[in-house]
Amino acid sequence: MQTEIKANMKNVTKRFGEVVAVNNISLDIKEGEFLVLLGPSGSGKTTLLRLLAGLEELTEGDIYIEDTLVNNLPPRHRNIAMVFQNYALYPHMSVFENLAYPLKIRKRSKEEIAKRVREVAEVLEISELFKRRPKQISGGQKQRVALGRAMIRKANLFLMDEPLSNLDAKLRVQMRAELRRLQKSMGTTTVYVTHDQAEAMTLADRVAVLNNGVVQQLDSPEEVYFHPVNRFVAGFVGSPQMNFFAGSYEEAKIKTDYFEYPLPPEVVKKLEKKGKVEKIYFGIRPEDVTVSKIEIEGAYNARIYVSELMGAESFVFFTIGNSVERFLSRTSPDFRGNMDESIWVSFKEDKIHIFDYDTDAAII
Amino acid sequence: MLKSFFKYFFMVIITMFVFFPIVWLVSTSFKNPVDMFAVPPIFVPANPSFDHYATLFFEAGIVKYILNSVIVAVSTTLLSLVAGTLAAYSLARFRLPYRMNERLSFWVLSTRMFPPIVTIIPLFAMMRFFHLLNTRMGLVIAYTAFNLPFVVWMMRGFFMEIPEELEEAAMVDGDSRMSAFRRIILPIAKPGLVATSIFTLILSWNEFLFALILSQTRSAATLPIGVASTVTQYEIKWGEMSAAGVIAVVRVLIFAFVVQKHLVRGMSFGAIKG
Repeated sequence: MQTEIKANMKNVTKRFGEVVAVNNISLDIKEGEFLVLLGPSGSGKTTLLRLLAGLEELTEGDIYIEDTLVNNLPPRHRNIAMVFQNYALYPHMSVFENLAYPLKIRKRSKEEIAKRVREVAEVLEISELFKRRPKQISGGQKQRVALGRAMIRKANLFLMDEPLSNLDAKLRVQMRAELRRLQKSMGTTTVYVTHDQAEAMTLADRVAVLNNGVVQQLDSPEEVYFHPVNRFVAGFVGSPQMNFFAGSYEEAKIKTDYFEYPLPPEVVKKLEKKGKVEKIYFGIRPEDVTVSKIEIEGAYNARIYVSELMGAESFVFFTIGNSVERFLSRTSPDFRGNMDESIWVSFKEDKIHIFDYDTDAAII
Repeated sequence: MLKSFFKYFFMVIITMFVFFPIVWLVSTSFKNPVDMFAVPPIFVPANPSFDHYATLFFEAGIVKYILNSVIVAVSTTLLSLVAGTLAAYSLARFRLPYRMNERLSFWVLSTRMFPPIVTIIPLFAMMRFFHLLNTRMGLVIAYTAFNLPFVVWMMRGFFMEIPEELEEAAMVDGDSRMSAFRRIILPIAKPGLVATSIFTLILSWNEFLFALILSQTRSAATLPIGVASTVTQYEIKWGEMSAAGVIAVVRVLIFAFVVQKHLVRGMSFGAIKG
């Protein structure tokens, strides 16, 4: 392998009493990469990050940072930097003192500290705030100061725990882009925890999707989105969520309660290769569902539940046959439908997903 | 209009009710014995006398009592604060098994739930065994034991208000747990620290029961005992008693004025958000 491994987790497990927060996770973090840990709350992503930081004690397993076993090293000896969700700025210190704190502890000279703080502040455009207290600056500014405090020394590893979740939507998008540029230009190895799949998609070089303390999939954002390895990943990544239909596979067709879907020959071939497959979930992302008001060959008759114009796009919720469940199509804003109007829906052939009913693992 | 009249009327009544004993105390301390029992009562003596104060300082040796009180109160406060703050921090932060944080904290508090007098006899026996009767050290130990639960409980509340991420951030930035506590948590908890120390100080300053039992001689007796000693077998020295009372109150009052700002801030603590 060409890229250097910056940090490495081997069979890491963390239990809180009876609760297993992190279950036997092994993970490499490559030099210079932006790794996002993505998962719902309770998936163990934050615990994993805190284990890496040394803020939680391992139950089992080993963690290496730069080839050093750090299992028993306190955070201060791991040479890591961390940005917290609530920024964790020291309220009794000015912005300058906050930025200078990591260097001050390390007993650097006053000149060196002042120089470094000025450099970092310039990059983050917070030089005017030096004398203010954390209470007197805005959320976005606090975010920058927290980031600056992490950047102030050359840490091996940047850890970020949902750093953008306390910002308002507009600022979040703006900071997201800045964060990405900053990380790329400085080449820092970053591990970033979030539950927001948009952040994961936009920021990550690689995404580790976690659920129940286990890594479900570790891949590039594209792979995770277009080729989810199981139903959890398929459902969690992507907003709005993928549509799922429970059904069965019979003679080159998917049979669900509401429709029969004839599979293209190459998919059939793949399915046959897997051996006996009977009960399955059929999955299709909303953007891969086309809706039409006129009947199309091979399309299914459906009924609009409600149609929402989002501006750049339209969300059409519909029911098929006698379904109680509602499914969603994400289509062009030109499509306007009325409640209970009859429409025709079809699925893009090359975008369908098929998951094993029992194991949830992806088959196609 | 009527409403605010009643409001002020009651406020005046309550203030008078609360203030009267103090006014009476101060005025009595300056009266000569004849005026003390005059009917109708005299509130402002025509010829204020400083005799009682002079007696206290030159004959009754009140300076010794004051000194004892200061030493005992200050030592108790320092000792309770150091031990109690560390204990409170541990109970606020470290996750102990079997919900021990809650249980231990409650147990600590529960030692304040019985009346202090029930401990006085065993305490007396123990102090005698260790030869700590009639020593300031003995009083400091007893007061510290009795103040600790209060300090622990109060400081624990303050610490729990401070987001844990702050010392975690400090620890990542390069602090040890202890230096993060010293450099980040303590400065933030300062208002709480000040408020707690004031309460502890006043409590040990005013304490009477333990002091009465544990320090019978002038070598350790505190000011409240000094005041009480004006009640003698044959007479009650009202004038000296009042004067000693004034001295005791004035010190606390001055102290309260000095730290008032912190006291209020300590009460309204909780405005700290990262």
